[in-house]
Amino acid sequence: MERRFMVDRKVIRTTCKSCHGGCGVLATVEDGVIVHIQGNPDSLTRGTMCSKGLSSIQHIDNPYRIHYPMKRIGEKGEGRWGRISWDEALDTIAGRMKAAIEQHGPSTIAISQGTGRGYNRYTHRLARSIGTGNIITPGYVCHSPRLGLYGLVTGYGRLYCDYHGWGGEFPKTQIMWAKQLEISSADSEMAVWFINSLEYCKNLIIIDPRASAYASRATLWIQPRPGTDCALALGMMNVIIEEELWDREFVGDWTFGFDELRERVRDFTPQKVSDLCWIPREHVIDAARMFAVDTPGCIQVGSSLERQANCGHTLRAITCLLGLTGNVERPGSMVSWVLPETGLIEDFFLELPLTEEMRSRIIGIEKYKMGAARTCNPDTMVKAINSGNAPIEVWFSVGGQQLVHMANTKEVFEAIKKVEFLVHVDLFMGPMAEAADIVLPAAHWLELDDVYDMHPRFMIEAHNKVVDPPGEAKSDAWIFNEVGRRVAPQHWFESVEDMLDYQVRKGSDGTMTWKQFSERLVSGCWGEDQVYYKYKTDYWKEGGGFPTPTGKFEFASKHLESLGYDPLPVFREPGESPNSTPELFKEYPLVLSSGFRQPFYFLGQYRNIPWLRSYMEYPMVQIHPETAAEYGVEDGDIIWIESPRGRIRQKLRAFPGIKKGVVMATANCFYPEEPARTFHGLFISNPNVLTSNNHLDPMYGSPDLTCLLCRVYRASDQDLKENVFHTEQFGTVPTVEQMAPAERMTRQAQ
Amino acid sequence: MRWGMVINLAKCMRCHACVAACRVEHFLPLHVTWAKLIAHEVDEGGVVDVSTYPVRCNHCADPPCVHACPTEASYRREDGIVMIDSDKCIGCRYCVIACPYQNRTFLSKDKDPGYFPGYAKTGFERKGRKLYPHQVGTTEKCNFCVERIDAGMAKGRRPGIDRDATPACVNTCQARALTFGDLDDPESEVSKLIRKYNGFQLRAEYGTDPSVYYIDYRIGGAPSNKAPEHARTGYNMKHASTVDRDAARRLGRSTVKGEAKQ
Repeated sequence: MERRFMVDRKVIRTTCKSCHGGCGVLATVEDGVIVHIQGNPDSLTRGTMCSKGLSSIQHIDNPYRIHYPMKRIGEKGEGRWGRISWDEALDTIAGRMKAAIEQHGPSTIAISQGTGRGYNRYTHRLARSIGTGNIITPGYVCHSPRLGLYGLVTGYGRLYCDYHGWGGEFPKTQIMWAKQLEISSADSEMAVWFINSLEYCKNLIIIDPRASAYASRATLWIQPRPGTDCALALGMMNVIIEEELWDREFVGDWTFGFDELRERVRDFTPQKVSDLCWIPREHVIDAARMFAVDTPGCIQVGSSLERQANCGHTLRAITCLLGLTGNVERPGSMVSWVLPETGLIEDFFLELPLTEEMRSRIIGIEKYKMGAARTCNPDTMVKAINSGNAPIEVWFSVGGQQLVHMANTKEVFEAIKKVEFLVHVDLFMGPMAEAADIVLPAAHWLELDDVYDMHPRFMIEAHNKVVDPPGEAKSDAWIFNEVGRRVAPQHWFESVEDMLDYQVRKGSDGTMTWKQFSERLVSGCWGEDQVYYKYKTDYWKEGGGFPTPTGKFEFASKHLESLGYDPLPVFREPGESPNSTPELFKEYPLVLSSGFRQPFYFLGQYRNIPWLRSYMEYPMVQIHPETAAEYGVEDGDIIWIESPRGRIRQKLRAFPGIKKGVVMATANCFYPEEPARTFHGLFISNPNVLTSNNHLDPMYGSPDLTCLLCRVYRASDQDLKENVFHTEQFGTVPTVEQMAPAERMTRQAQ
Repeated sequence: MRWGMVINLAKCMRCHACVAACRVEHFLPLHVTWAKLIAHEVDEGGVVDVSTYPVRCNHCADPPCVHACPTEASYRREDGIVMIDSDKCIGCRYCVIACPYQNRTFLSKDKDPGYFPGYAKTGFERKGRKLYPHQVGTTEKCNFCVERIDAGMAKGRRPGIDRDATPACVNTCQARALTFGDLDDPESEVSKLIRKYNGFQLRAEYGTDPSVYYIDYRIGGAPSNKAPEHARTGYNMKHASTVDRDAARRLGRSTVKGEAKQ
């Protein structure tokens, strides 16, 4: 009799992946239903979780999830799909890939990914295993430039802010540069660590055209004109050198190219920088003094800097600023972390070589030698497809919305519609799925087993499955392994568990299995095990030094010089700016940026999660009240934002915290609830309708997504009558037709 | 004993996690929100102030909602928590109007269309209806997670110190902007914060004496950047740190720890 009242209740420990992720999670499951979710106190994030992670519950039983593999039976954008079996889907994909390899070579297969979900090592392994280097990632506008350019100094270990206190000190001066780490964390550092370290901070300097709670309370808040950050960094170095504030010992003993750097920054006087950046000259001087005098210090950069066509040199300038002030490898400065016993989880793809043959066929490699070295330059690829020279036969896309995040949406849209065979793997229907030939259903992080890892920092964690995925949805690991097994079986595994065993094998004397790791939850190197001043040990170089051609921290980079780039940082105006295109500025008199994030969305994701959508129904554009008044628009208006490429609508928030003359639009937005024929409202509010793909960073090929010109005006009542917002409430469910066997797609190219 | 909360405006970064944690904790219907955020964005003579005020029931010492309630459904517990007995609530909504902070919500049917209107309720919603019933036609509000406090205290846990006796919003806050504790205890963390930073109540002039206080200050100016043990990342972890063998060798380490510490 008592059985009726017994419930099967258990708490499963896992790891959140709602952004780049990494927060420890406790999920309570009762009779197979998640009834509670909270942070895990026994984790590096101390039991905290954000709104995205907590609202993950609404991914479960979400009616808009994709349940089955489907093939498109209508035109692209018609939204008509036929359900197919996994076998049929996978065999078709493998067949198309093999045919492309035989007839056109493996480089005609593109593998693309988004930012989330942790499939990084799988996309790269799949690509390398089948012989293509044409991987499309958003990396070139998010994180890759800083990894590559820090890597020029510290090798694969890169540089991260030391918010951890393991060396006994927290940063005394912190610079938050085009970044709100408190809400957009986990590029490698986490909000909870940063905020904790602020308790011990003497100077907080925030460099952002837009105020935040922290900016309005910081020691110094600098509002540069978007796209001029490199000039600011050069100006700070000018002050440090003129006032002789640099770190004598570090610069003297461990650096290369100081005299050239001194020469390079000589012109960048505070007055010149003030004129370029539209900031008071005192801000340049104060920031320079604080950072050079109150050491140790760190600089947290945001990806807004990497969405600019001078991103390479901007990050080089910031790297030099770190070297000049000795803020490298010192406790409380910028540090390259020692790896945990499980090693670098990226070894899972690095172990497969990118051959010379593969490298030579990477699209864009001849021009963008830093960015298109391991992945292709997506903008160059779009141009090549549109010019009729079809370099891509098969495009296997997982998660990412290239249609949304790439510059010049119209051109990207044209190109993607031309792709002969496109597969998209996702949780929900979105713009890329509507353009696909086959759509595969992916599992959410609460529904899968996997190794959590984003960028090689000091830890990896376990995603432990909490509930079953809906319908026939599968984990990304399973999907990649199944595709891999069919095309390049020698590099793939019998089962996902085997693959996971293989990834964690280096732990505990090389005997750790996935099951043990899953139980252990984390493998990390922290506390007294982390080591600072690695250049004084054999860590990078026998006898000490940096892993660079000169063995020193290079202000003048030998590697960049050998690739034909300027070895020292150079300031360049954005492609369209008041200074570079003064004529255009007369017509488009406002500076447009799309650099800010909402804490409750992760890039293009989560506008279909009711709890998260409740925080911001429509994309918001921020303009200073005085600027708004000047252009006749008011708080709450739906306004047009227009550039030479087109126009979009967003809802205006008159915000006194934004620089006058700057328009800050919400990026990465489409409307999941809009119908398939509009590609889910792709053109309504997406700022990339306005951006250009003609002016790219010489090293990384990154376009100006966060610095261009625009004009704004109120949308007329007539404009608003068009059916632009809302059909369903939170998404669309594809029309799935049961397919008769005879109608099934003929398997091409066995 | 009087439970109260201190909210640190210098730390709140408007992430909305407290709102989400409250929704999870109480299985809140789609259009019901107990914990809310108020954006404050002004330019006062060239000084920009961007702040976020997390608001929830103030659990006033002299609560107008309780005075307004004709059925005694609203009442104040001895520990200061203001409660609504949904069995006694007749849905007259006098309290909704009486609350000067607008922190009460009347649950009408249209506020609960299901998380995905037009589709079946999710498993979380269905389970939630049993584990945490919401009575349509009554008024609701933040209850300081009284169920966590009571269950936790019954197990000897201390609200504001031990997680399982502390409100969910406080536990989840990444900025540690929320602090919970006993306002009557001068040694509690909340009392100390109020004294140290001159804590204030919202609209104190209404005379309701809220149990939610706010503090604010500028960031920076820390006298020392020395890192105490308890503030270091991973200090709370049971699991021991490990070093990659190859890295350890290059660093000149002779041994590598590999076993988990229990």
